[in-house]
Amino acid sequence: MLYVQMLVNGIMLGALYACLAIGFSLVWGVLNVINMLHGSLLVLGGYLTYTAWHDYGVHPLIALFAVAFALFLLGYAIQRILINRVVDMPVLVTMTLTFALDLILYNFMIVYFTATPVRVTLNLGVIDAGGIFVPVDRLAGMVLALLLTGLLYVVLRRSRIGRAIVAVRMDRSAAMLMGIRVEHIYAITFGIGALMAGATGAVFAMVYPMTTDLDFTFLGKAFIVCIIGGLGSVQGALVGGLVLGLVESIAGQFLGPQYALTAGFALMLVLLVAMPTGLTGVKGFE
Amino acid sequence: MPEPLLKVESLHAGYGEVRVLWGVDIDIEAGEIACIVGSNGAGKTTLLRALSGLVAVSSGKLLFDGVELAGLPADQILARGIAHVPEGRRLFRGMSVRDNLLLGAYLRSDKVEIHRDLDYVFSIFPILKERQHQDATTLSGGEQQMCAVARGIMSRPRLLMIDELSLGLAPRMVERLGEALIEVNKIGLAILIVEQDVMTAFELARRGFVIETGVVRMRGNTQMLAKDPMIRQAYLGL
Repeated sequence: MLYVQMLVNGIMLGALYACLAIGFSLVWGVLNVINMLHGSLLVLGGYLTYTAWHDYGVHPLIALFAVAFALFLLGYAIQRILINRVVDMPVLVTMTLTFALDLILYNFMIVYFTATPVRVTLNLGVIDAGGIFVPVDRLAGMVLALLLTGLLYVVLRRSRIGRAIVAVRMDRSAAMLMGIRVEHIYAITFGIGALMAGATGAVFAMVYPMTTDLDFTFLGKAFIVCIIGGLGSVQGALVGGLVLGLVESIAGQFLGPQYALTAGFALMLVLLVAMPTGLTGVKGFE
Repeated sequence: MPEPLLKVESLHAGYGEVRVLWGVDIDIEAGEIACIVGSNGAGKTTLLRALSGLVAVSSGKLLFDGVELAGLPADQILARGIAHVPEGRRLFRGMSVRDNLLLGAYLRSDKVEIHRDLDYVFSIFPILKERQHQDATTLSGGEQQMCAVARGIMSRPRLLMIDELSLGLAPRMVERLGEALIEVNKIGLAILIVEQDVMTAFELARRGFVIETGVVRMRGNTQMLAKDPMIRQAYLGL
């Protein structure tokens, strides 16, 4: 019974991790930009959703979509106005730029939202399935995370803009010969990364307490998921997210919650040495 | 004499400090098949890249249908009707043949017509229809070249430029591709082939340009060029 409970907890957490990492993975894979801003965008999404719900009485689901859209615009603008200028430079340059943006956003949020933990409390109750306890809000969070992930997958595989994103990732100059404006696709991709971060942040705020200083925790998780699952693919993020969720759940049970994070990083180190391309390898957005 | 479809005048271009093209003059007439031949490093690929906007033009004129294209970005040049099938095919890995072809039509929004053109390229290259759901980079070399040419046609260009059509392909495959190009040409599409294999190029094209070290050394009817002693010695090994 304990094992089933661990499994259920791990999967519910893992789906959130997958959704958390996917935008980070997409931006890294397509733009070769390590987006240090990703964690803060998650926090921003969470706080905006909370504020809309708490202060203005907006339904959290509606707030989620509004926040996701707003973050898409923010992400598009950041890439178009700032990152595109240095996107071809060594990865350290774009990393420094996004790190600087992260500091700005983080400090802005500390001032504006303060560091008080907030949570969108839905009070949906708990399902008791023969001794396995499933909090409904976490279950809903998992479903939402999987839906968002699935939606992104469909967009990447089936839409015109998705094909263009994959094309730019695979071969930039051939993509230009198709008439694809690379700077526009870069901005769209960064926008989608921010959108996914904002939406995941909204989901997190419905499931766990959100604080402003979670930004680097989220960023760390995104890193681990990318390395476990392999970079730049939806199924890689899914695999990586679920594996990380399970590892944390199991380690938390047997070693104590304080070691859950350590177990995740330890797994990352082992994989970096043993399987540098991750469990799914790099094969594009299939 | 009617105004040519493409008129290139003293075109200079290169990569950074390195100049590759030193005043190229060529002209392509609407609906014809022309070829550019020359040895490795003569500037053939750079010329195509300059024409399609991948390489910046430093000076010279590039008139397409009377409109100056020099300095325009690649997407606007394609939108005006010049498609470029790059050397080495450059199909998108991890994407199906069909998705690769649809990317060729990226700038178009006329869905019905796009599907009509998809059927059209499938009728010219039936093997692509058979393999439309397969990863494009798992096709054989010849089939990949068909896919790349078809992808170029999908933009509905008025001039299709093909870099190294025959490179690495079996002679029978080259022949089949040539037949397909002649068929495509019949519906009015002008084709510019760039080739190291001079024989193949001369068989397909009516007119040819010989490029050496970034300038056009000779030009004219390909039957005439094939008889030229210098060309016979340097390129045909006769």
